[in-house]
Amino acid sequence: MQITFRNFCIFITLLFATIFFGLIISLFIIPSFTAILNSLQAKEMMYSLELSLITSAVSTIAVLTLAIPIGYALSRFSFFGKNFLKSILDLPIAFPELVLGLCLLVFFGQTFVGKVLNVLGIKIVFTKLGIIVAQVFTALPYSTRILCSTFESINPRIELVSRSLGYTEFETFRNITLPIAKEGILATTIISFARCMGAFGAVLVLAGGSYMYTETLPITIYLSLSYGNMDMAITSGIVLVIISFAAIYMFEKVDRGRTWHF
Amino acid sequence: MAFLEIKNLFVDLKNFKLKNINLKIDKKDYVTIIGPTGSGKSILLETIAGFYKPTKGKILIEQLDISNLPPEKRCISIVYQDFALFPNMNVYENIAYGLKKKEKNSRIIKEEVEKIAEDVGITNLLNRIPNTLSGGEKQRVAIARALVTKPKILLMDEPFSALDVRTKDSLRDLIENIVKKYETTVIHVTHDLDDVFRLANKTIIMKDGEIVQNGYVNEVFSKPLNDFVANFVGANVLKGEIIGKKDGYTLIKIGRFVIRSIDNANVGSKVKVYIRPEEIILSNDLEDSIVCSVEKIKRFNNILWIKLSNDCFTLNAIVTPNITEKRISIGNKIFIKFDPSKVRILEGNGC
Ligand SMILES: Nc1ncnc2c1ncn2[C@@H]1O[C@H](COP(=O)(O)OP(=O)(O)OP(=O)(O)O)[C@@H](O)[C@H]1O
Ligand SMILES: [Mg+2]
Repeated sequence: MQITFRNFCIFITLLFATIFFGLIISLFIIPSFTAILNSLQAKEMMYSLELSLITSAVSTIAVLTLAIPIGYALSRFSFFGKNFLKSILDLPIAFPELVLGLCLLVFFGQTFVGKVLNVLGIKIVFTKLGIIVAQVFTALPYSTRILCSTFESINPRIELVSRSLGYTEFETFRNITLPIAKEGILATTIISFARCMGAFGAVLVLAGGSYMYTETLPITIYLSLSYGNMDMAITSGIVLVIISFAAIYMFEKVDRGRTWHF
Repeated sequence: MAFLEIKNLFVDLKNFKLKNINLKIDKKDYVTIIGPTGSGKSILLETIAGFYKPTKGKILIEQLDISNLPPEKRCISIVYQDFALFPNMNVYENIAYGLKKKEKNSRIIKEEVEKIAEDVGITNLLNRIPNTLSGGEKQRVAIARALVTKPKILLMDEPFSALDVRTKDSLRDLIENIVKKYETTVIHVTHDLDDVFRLANKTIIMKDGEIVQNGYVNEVFSKPLNDFVANFVGANVLKGEIIGKKDGYTLIKIGRFVIRSIDNANVGSKVKVYIRPEEIILSNDLEDSIVCSVEKIKRFNNILWIKLSNDCFTLNAIVTPNITEKRISIGNKIFIKFDPSKVRILEGNGC
């Protein structure tokens, strides 16, 4: 075979895909099957799986509630400082998760706002609520981006026609825009859920990562590694990988032929 | 009383402005808006629909100021070049959408939808999804959807420009008939002068966010206010000088030729003269004629468009071939004449 640029690119792609696949497979072949089964049934695993699922579900709902209006505003309306806001909202994508967590910790722990919330009984630092807050901030930028490009791909004249036929801005959004955007919204739901399940750095810093209290699956990996329970760590990893694969699979199904602009 | 009246309207979109728009339209008028690309035709249309807020001025319908009403309160429908059908609804639901807002009785809705579907010839498409329709079918649906609510004004932004010639023609017929039947007042933005001649009784010409002329079609086309309009409506503009008056005609010297016009102008002034291509007469005798040679010929359905020139000017002429075909071929010399009542002298500082 000739060494052309084309073949070189394909070779690198194949090589990297193989390594990546090998990495994932190794997670499944190292521990014994019984070890995995035992870890799966451990109380700690049950707890963190349940906590992860519940917090991620709640966070995903919160993310959607925020990302739909944000994405719509960024795609449809022009207003003062829009580009600046856009970059602020994108910032967490490039931010180290730990730094994001640190910011959240300082904001909710040390500032006036945090103290007021605390007095009102809304405790965020080192609590389960903190897990949700951290997850929301981690997942939000991705969701606004997907939704923004979803709304941008909808012909605004369709909305104008609906308005001219007697429907208000909100009725138009509900009757026309949302139904047309439903694939994008579904894709956003899946991606946010996956991001929330995997959120680690910010969750660890803000919610504290305490055993059987603010312990989500990624935290379980971290804790298990730190006290040398390799089987437990690997089992958590497997569960997370399965969830990611399921999410990606569903995303691809929903995505069918659509292109997202990241 | 004008049905729609626009008074001193200004719209400011930072890099584009509509300036001092004044307009009166009567009920059942069919008004076309023409003008070069980027002249603000769509923005004017969408301002009437309520999608842009004027910075100054008023829009009145039947003496009622609507300039502060949101689009949904205006009873104005709009049809776009790209159809803008709701992709999440079938054809029936698309048409019924506007009715559902006011009418809750689903039997009445069904009757109305079926009636208009028959009027626009899409009865067999009611269960189809928009993206399975052809362009012409889509535009029929959009027209039905716009008219079923009995709007006070129907706005159309280049409704035929995404369609092929034959479809365009059949839709033009459809619009002509249905607008009469529903007694709709129409404002129609177009680039196609055929739309103006076939459909409109009035026309507006826009340039750089301003209306340069508006009035009855024959008036605008026979008596353009300035050079820009004359050129835009496809007329020949020639430079000349008034050299005298004779038998009630004004004599204009163009190069070495002298032509007559019924319009008045001061002797000695330099003017521009305007002649529509279809008003140029081919003549057989040299007497009073101008000699030109044929430079280009284009054939349309039943007319010939020819470009003529001599040492003083070039002209576009439109002629029907049956009478004249024999003489017209490239390079041939032909004789032309002008009817003095069709030779217009441009007002204002024509030079
Ligand atoms: N929302 C907007 N904000 C700012 N400028 C705009 C907006 N929409 C259009 N423009 C600009 O205003 C000018 C006039 O636009 P408009 O669409 O009215 O032109 P038009 O006469 O309809 O042209 P065409 O024949 O090409 O459709 C254009 O230069 C356009 O770029
Ligand atoms: Mg336009």
